Amino acid sequence: MINTLAQIDFIATASHSPWHRASALGKLLLAAGAVLLAVLAPHLRLPLALYAIGWLLAVTSRLPLRLLAAAAFYPLLFALLFIALHWDGSWENALRLALRPLTASLYVVWLAGTTPYPDLFAPLSRVLPRQVGDGLFLTYRALFELLGRAERMFRALHLRAAASLPARRRLPLAGEALGTLVLHGFERSQRMYSIMLLRGHSGRICGCRHYAEASPADLWVGLAALAVSAAGVLLWRMP
Amino acid sequence: MSHLHIPDGVLPPILWGPGLALAAVLLLQAVRATRLESPRTIAYQGALGGLMLAVMSIPIPFVALEYCLTLAGPVGVLLGPAAGFQVAFVVCVILALLGQGGLTVVGLNALVLGAAVAVARPLYVRLAPGRSAAAALALATGAAQAVAGLCWFALLTLALKLSPGTPVGIGRGGVRIGLFAGVTIALWLVAIAAESAVAFGVGRFLARVRPDLLPAAPTRAPAVPAAGVP
Repeated sequence: MINTLAQIDFIATASHSPWHRASALGKLLLAAGAVLLAVLAPHLRLPLALYAIGWLLAVTSRLPLRLLAAAAFYPLLFALLFIALHWDGSWENALRLALRPLTASLYVVWLAGTTPYPDLFAPLSRVLPRQVGDGLFLTYRALFELLGRAERMFRALHLRAAASLPARRRLPLAGEALGTLVLHGFERSQRMYSIMLLRGHSGRICGCRHYAEASPADLWVGLAALAVSAAGVLLWRMP
Repeated sequence: MSHLHIPDGVLPPILWGPGLALAAVLLLQAVRATRLESPRTIAYQGALGGLMLAVMSIPIPFVALEYCLTLAGPVGVLLGPAAGFQVAFVVCVILALLGQGGLTVVGLNALVLGAAVAVARPLYVRLAPGRSAAAALALATGAAQAVAGLCWFALLTLALKLSPGTPVGIGRGGVRIGLFAGVTIALWLVAIAAESAVAFGVGRFLARVRPDLLPAAPTRAPAVPAAGVP
């Protein structure tokens, strides 16, 4: 999962496409609208149309196909489980049940893959309470450093033959190793707070302010929104 | 088992809509309860949230399976219910933005993960007297995982009952539900055992190195000697 996340994070910042240049707010609204339409669609044709539009967006955003497939098909396993539980002999129902999560996942991957995280979190932090909005930024910042440490630590345990121990000894050992990360996280948070104060922290992490700045690339987002809306209006009642 | 990973479009809106609303109400309550805390605490919450996300992505070999930890119990004990619920919510939002868990089910995911986080510290404080910190943390984590698992089952059962055309309890549908329940209960027990064992190690380490990070157990008032007893 995290390799996928790291790649998406890098591509969102480093890649260049019209979608990367468009404002975060427009893309967020488009993705949220498409996800809601896909989830609430009563028949099959609308999710199919939304799925096709989603692939068009994703392919033109220059995300690597392998990464796109890994992220976009992630919900398939759980969807298949639900289809098995719901199976009533109708392929149409099964396909609709599978398409909803796949479509939603595709739009979310497109959004995350074309929007750097400060731009993505900034509009969310405006509507969330201050502590939670700040928590989004601080958690995401902490994630990659802690992940690197966690991976190194588990590799060290593996090299010291921890894997050959029985589970009742191996798991508490892993827990002790994670205890070092808890301690590191605590000390890191103290250090980070001091740095925030030095940099003039005023009690709120605001994120960047250009998440809503429109650019010519937003025309593409507008066109995509038009296509999604048209699909919603024309295909909502069509079986 | 303490996070759903259920994608969008699988659960009916009548379930995720109220779930989102309930999570928002609880989040506001949690924020109100911690509004006087210093930003230093928010940085600590961020660090533990990052740790939760990091360990969720590293599978640990366990018997014949690989298990991804959540650390919901230890994080709940270290932060308490209000701050812990905020961390659970943030973790679920970030997971949803990575396509893991779905945007519409953020509320339900936060409720399930938040249930484990929120009950962990009260349980720990009750269990700590007379036990080592490691044992108390392991027991509190196991109980927190059990609570989260019950919420998980309740949600899935509700989802299946509320979805139109669900064959719950009818003919072969009943067999499918039974098979599903059997597999998930087995996985649930594995999750409880694994999280508790890891929490034992976390507790043992912290009790040795930084016991001040663990919440203090309530001290029992010294017994008043009966009159006439020397």
